[in-house]
Amino acid sequence: MRLFIVALAASLMASQAHSEYLYGITGNMAGTGHTWGMNIGPSGSQSLKINGVYYQYTPVKNTEDDMVVHVRNKRFGTNEYIFSSTDDWSGLAGGIPITKGFIIDNLPIELWGDGSIDVEGSGSVIDANVVYSYKYKNDCLTPMSDPSCSGYIDAVLAMMGESKIEVYDPLADENIADVIDEKAELDEDVQQEDEEKAEAKDRLQRMLSGVNDSILYANVTSQNLLMFAMSRSNNLNPYYDKTLSGGTYKETVVLDGGQLADNKKGARAGLAQQILHTKMVSMQYEPTE
Amino acid sequence: MKKVLIASLILAPHIAYAADTSIVGNVQTRCLITTDTNGVFGNPLPSKLSTASADGGVVPVVRYDVTLADAYLAKVTTPTAFSASPSLSDSVTWTGSTAVSKTSDAAMSGYEAAKVTYGSTTQFDLTKAGSTWFSSTATAVYGVSKSFPGGSYTAIVLAECIAK
Repeated sequence: MRLFIVALAASLMASQAHSEYLYGITGNMAGTGHTWGMNIGPSGSQSLKINGVYYQYTPVKNTEDDMVVHVRNKRFGTNEYIFSSTDDWSGLAGGIPITKGFIIDNLPIELWGDGSIDVEGSGSVIDANVVYSYKYKNDCLTPMSDPSCSGYIDAVLAMMGESKIEVYDPLADENIADVIDEKAELDEDVQQEDEEKAEAKDRLQRMLSGVNDSILYANVTSQNLLMFAMSRSNNLNPYYDKTLSGGTYKETVVLDGGQLADNKKGARAGLAQQILHTKMVSMQYEPTE
Repeated sequence: MKKVLIASLILAPHIAYAADTSIVGNVQTRCLITTDTNGVFGNPLPSKLSTASADGGVVPVVRYDVTLADAYLAKVTTPTAFSASPSLSDSVTWTGSTAVSKTSDAAMSGYEAAKVTYGSTTQFDLTKAGSTWFSSTATAVYGVSKSFPGGSYTAIVLAECIAK
């Protein structure tokens, strides 16, 4: 029965696979009391339509007895039936399951009232199985599916309020930070090496240039000294070659009278200066007003 | 009589220019047989293979879809030999039966009571249009309580739809 139903449902699906509808089948709707409600399909689905009814049961009866079995659904809100299938077992043997399937012309679920298996006459029904196939639109199963769905704005606002937007910051990533640090260290090492190389080169150049300068300076100095020595020899030698005529210089000045008199004018000037000096020294000890 | 001969002579030239005209017709099948369930042998005893669920097997089911009432006979024959098996050195005893397992119409409930069995074949008179499911059981017993050799065993259930 189940395979048969699935096969029929699959064929129905295949014919409308390109449409916007989703398809499904119910479980066994026939309970032990052989009555059932029509709460089928996903909750919140819109435009759910019944497109098939399949049932199976086994009649239990005596062959000579009259028995009629109705499998049916009421039209919602009325005493009429939107679906009804009757099997007349009168004068027929029971015990063999009967299976039937019906294609329904997509009747909206709103039209379907309660279902039932009703037995008239002598006999009963066992192992009843009633299955409905249906299709529905998936538009508003979640309010955010479409802006036209009721509750769309509330759902969006709720989502925005609840959602936590996480921005990926690559610099906060430990792995990336580690790589950056390693690269920075590597660059720093390379730069340091370059600087050391440049410094060594510079030092070498300076050293070499200093050596060159020293050599040059030494050359110049030695040349200067040589030139000085040579010129000095030339300049001094003529003086060494001069001779005094007669050999000695004799005293020619003679003191008149044989005595040298005191200089009185000079003595007065020296005394005046001494007095003035003493006065000036004493002034610094005089009390001030 | 003469008049008839003359008439024949007059008609003779026309017969010489006659052409063949074909007649084409298609007959759509009104009886379709479909395998609903493939059978499986259970091995409850070393010497026994059985499709019964009690023996761990699966009963094969075939479905007859008839669109024309009272026009066909359904003949289902249970196996009497393996179609594939290891080499067997002893005889195999076969038993089998076929029954209506499900119908699509209450009026078909009489098929089971009206069936005719001969040999390993069971015949049903498909008097109503609709679908009927037939299930077959098959049991094979090897020798006298002799163990079947290990291997894979296959047997065939033959389902035929015979026009009345």
